[in-house]
Amino acid sequence: MLYTIWLLPLLGAVVLWVLGPQLRERGGILGSAAVGLSFFATLTLYRAAGTTPGVHVPLGSWIGGFTFGLMMDPLSLIWVLVITGVGGLIHVYSIGYMAGDRAVARFFAYMNFFVFAMLTLVLSDNFVGLLVGWGLVGLASYFLIGFWFERPSAVAAARKAFVINVVGDVGLMFAVFVLFSHTGSIAYTDVFARVRDLAPPVLLTACIAIFIGCAAKSAQVPLHTWLPDALEGPTPVSALIHAATMVTAGVYLVARCAPLWDSSSAARELVGTIGAVTALAGAILGIAQWDIKRVLAYSTMSQIGYMIMGVGVGAYEAGVLHFFTHAFFKAQLFLAAGLAIHALAGEQDIRNMGGLARRMPFAFWGMLIGTLSICGVPFFAGFYSKDAVIYGELLDGHPWLYVLGVATAGITAYYMFRMLFIAFFGRDRTQTEHHGEPAHASNVPDWVMQVPVAILMVGTIAAGYLDIGGDNSIWSRFLAPDFAGENLLRTGAPQISDMVSSAVVLVAVVLGFGLAYLRYGAPAALTNAPERLDREARTMPPVLTHGYFVDDLIWALFVRPAQALGMAFGRFLDPVLIDGAVRDTSFLAGVLGWITRRLENGLVRAYAVTIVLGVACFVAYYAFAGIPR
Amino acid sequence: MIAALVIVPILAGFAVLLLPRRAEQTARWIGVAVAVLAFVAAAASYNAADESARWLSRPFSAAFHVGLGHGVSYWIVLLLTLVTACALLAGSPPWAARGGGPAERTFVAHMLLLLGSMVGVFVARDLLLFALFWDLMLIPVFLAMVASRGRAAVTAWRYLIYNVAGGLVLLLATAAFGIVTGSTDVVGAGSAHAAVGGVAFAWIFGGFAFAFLIKTPVWPLHTWMPDTYADLPSPFAAVVSAVQSKAGLYGFIVIGLGLMPAQMRAAASLMIALGVISLFYGALVALTEADMKRVVAYSSLSHLGLILVALFVFAPTGTPDIVALQGAVVYIVAHGLFSAALFLVLGQIEQREETRLLARLGGLGVRNPKLAGGLTIAALATLGLPGLAGFAGELLIITGIYRAGASWLAAVILVPIIIAAAYMLRLLQDVMNGPQRDDLPQRPDLSFVEGLALAPLVIALVVLGVDPGPVANASAAALQSPSGVALSGEHVPR
Repeated sequence: MLYTIWLLPLLGAVVLWVLGPQLRERGGILGSAAVGLSFFATLTLYRAAGTTPGVHVPLGSWIGGFTFGLMMDPLSLIWVLVITGVGGLIHVYSIGYMAGDRAVARFFAYMNFFVFAMLTLVLSDNFVGLLVGWGLVGLASYFLIGFWFERPSAVAAARKAFVINVVGDVGLMFAVFVLFSHTGSIAYTDVFARVRDLAPPVLLTACIAIFIGCAAKSAQVPLHTWLPDALEGPTPVSALIHAATMVTAGVYLVARCAPLWDSSSAARELVGTIGAVTALAGAILGIAQWDIKRVLAYSTMSQIGYMIMGVGVGAYEAGVLHFFTHAFFKAQLFLAAGLAIHALAGEQDIRNMGGLARRMPFAFWGMLIGTLSICGVPFFAGFYSKDAVIYGELLDGHPWLYVLGVATAGITAYYMFRMLFIAFFGRDRTQTEHHGEPAHASNVPDWVMQVPVAILMVGTIAAGYLDIGGDNSIWSRFLAPDFAGENLLRTGAPQISDMVSSAVVLVAVVLGFGLAYLRYGAPAALTNAPERLDREARTMPPVLTHGYFVDDLIWALFVRPAQALGMAFGRFLDPVLIDGAVRDTSFLAGVLGWITRRLENGLVRAYAVTIVLGVACFVAYYAFAGIPR
Repeated sequence: MIAALVIVPILAGFAVLLLPRRAEQTARWIGVAVAVLAFVAAAASYNAADESARWLSRPFSAAFHVGLGHGVSYWIVLLLTLVTACALLAGSPPWAARGGGPAERTFVAHMLLLLGSMVGVFVARDLLLFALFWDLMLIPVFLAMVASRGRAAVTAWRYLIYNVAGGLVLLLATAAFGIVTGSTDVVGAGSAHAAVGGVAFAWIFGGFAFAFLIKTPVWPLHTWMPDTYADLPSPFAAVVSAVQSKAGLYGFIVIGLGLMPAQMRAAASLMIALGVISLFYGALVALTEADMKRVVAYSSLSHLGLILVALFVFAPTGTPDIVALQGAVVYIVAHGLFSAALFLVLGQIEQREETRLLARLGGLGVRNPKLAGGLTIAALATLGLPGLAGFAGELLIITGIYRAGASWLAAVILVPIIIAAAYMLRLLQDVMNGPQRDDLPQRPDLSFVEGLALAPLVIALVVLGVDPGPVANASAAALQSPSGVALSGEHVPR
């Protein structure tokens, strides 16, 4: 069964890739079916995965102690359900969204491949299998981000995403060497069983190396710059990358390696801090965006920061829960935004939207519910998970991270409602011409795109209810086998109770909402919206519009020096310094030219014969000289 | 049978030259048939017994001794015959297509001569025989370059001068080895001479190493290589970069580690330094090269530098690290497969668009999806995508390096993997992606036969990536012998 779950999407990808031209529009149905079947197959394993060792299937081994296998335990199961479930809904949505595109079948082949890569990542029972999945996910994202490969911006974004992901791969690879060399195995169970034997510096090295992998894949500071650019792909791709696959891989890995983190408090500090900084940095950038997908992209960065912050400080269940709820509301936000973008023929700038609530009420409700959930409004899914993460900081004795978490929650409410007010309220500012994603005349009915959004709404509202009841909730009991060693580092009782903490967060959210309302939602603000937005765009500080100049920094520190060295070596050192000694430039070239000209006069073969004769003479000489006298 | 692997292609090569003018296409299919037969015969000769005939007894004893076994030799010969078959199938070089006349026959003849002489290098079990084939395999490459005229002729001379210099030193070292020990029929016989040690052996090893470093090539002896790979007709470039460049590394394994491990150990720091420099140097230059074949050439310099490092990783006990060595063998085969695939695809592009400059190319993916697919797979294998053969090799090599205690070296060596991703994507995207260019000729996509020429390489890359076991499955001692049989006991010179 595990094989089926794992390989169905691969099969779908191969069939779609080979038979693409014949399948065309039907490709979408096939691709969705492959992922959907994989989802239902996963459901049958629900009970088996919950038992203590989980489901395990050995696959074989290489030389030198590398053994491979598949494994499904509660942690993997949650991921597989989200990947195939939410991923499947995104596939169905794409049937409508991509209808009419030149290469629909290729699109679905890549999407299926993406799901397969992600399944490889979460189903592997060892670090090398994980690494393979890790690399394939990067590749799949490269294909999908660069799907419209005639657009130079998409090509550049795809390359950037891939190269930054390789930075992460390399970090993870180093962790594999460290762990394999010191424990003699790559299987999770063996490695975790021997964690206690590792010297602290070795353990810390391994943790940092693993986290470099996580940071690259999960867009943590300072390796986050590929994420906003990744929006060059079609909108369903953004939904898949942001919600169901890819960026949450880092959260999975930290949660998976909980035994390592539990043994190294220094590593925990590092991960928790980076997560919190990312959460805040992403949220602040979210304020300055005009592209509806960019707002969502930075919100993803910020929310992943929350998850990393949660699993980093040891609040694994909370972090994983936030992944779970985030998958629903982020997928819904992207797909609902996609409905608007699709209807507006590719327009993504919220300054050119306005008043969409009346024009497309369904998209509006989708966005609104998603926004309420992401902001952590009570009774919506995001509330339960985000509060658990933020309170987890306090439980683990990190008051400063707690403050960052609360502040981020307030800013989140501000930028999400800012986007909602500008795009969906006020006067209609849409223009006729567009220069965004290509639009297609489509004969696919509207419900194909609306039903997935509607299903996601259920999760967006209700996914958090699983966690009601604290340590006895369904969620905690289900994940108990994975995080038995939790609470090891918890220091003392927090100063305030859970309820008070929730109230504090809520106050921050209300403040953020209020500010957004005053600036963008109040009747006074709506009347002269175009002028106000124009002024805001002009006065936006460059540090925000350029993403803190991180890209420029990476460019100046790494890319330019590498190019300069390459130029210096290739154009200068190679031809002049080294070769000059041998070629002696003009003279030798002249002589060789002369000889070559002679050879071209039909003497080539004569020369060949000369060489062969020379060799023959040599052989003959030794043959004779060797005869005993 | 093993001797036939050497002799038949060479004879067939000369026979093709004698074909009548109108039999151009026949020549090509004869070439493909010979290469495929050689592949099948080599594959079937798994673990076949050595074949030997007496040759010299003075001034030292030597023999026409060839063997295949099931070790390094076996896999490289399989790689060689496979790549040659694919290269012949992929089509004749542009000058052959343009010029008409006898060009196709000449191309096939050169290719078969190259095949025979290179099989000779990898099956020779006598140092003298090895040295002879070493020189012999230069000639077809040289002729192929001279035949393509223009600037390539100068490149051809540079190729010949460098490599003959190496070959000469190799021959001298071989002769010295024979005189000092009394026999050259020693490849794969064990390192009995380690005890001899001393100044003489240091010089002999130095001679061998010099030739191997030029052939591989390794910085700073590499300057003949980028031009050669760029100017060689693509099928030749495929074979030379895939297999001929491995002759030096093969030499380090079976002659260096096999016969002179003490000297190998003594030279380790120098060789690792050269390997690491090549690794970075090649990667950085590949990042900015304007000519797509030169990008691949420099990437080759980088990758082969990594293998060189792997061969000189010694555990604190003084034995070579088994995992690194296994990784090196896997990577030798993997690099052969993906560099051959790359050069064949780039050859198709060059032939279609009549340029190799990245700045001139772009947007080919729209009209040529199959060509784009071929280049994508080859490029991904080159940048070490997990799941393909190159990754397995890299992983094993760097694991070995880390295990042997060189943790900083392992960390440093990972950096070029990132650079590799950057330069391979630059190559791939500059050729295939972006808007379609109106100033490029519109040509048909890959034909069935051209696709067929790539398929075996791609399949082998996937198979080897999923399970590198068969290629690497041997102990360290066995890996040092070309036949894959563990070296044991004292070798008694005749």
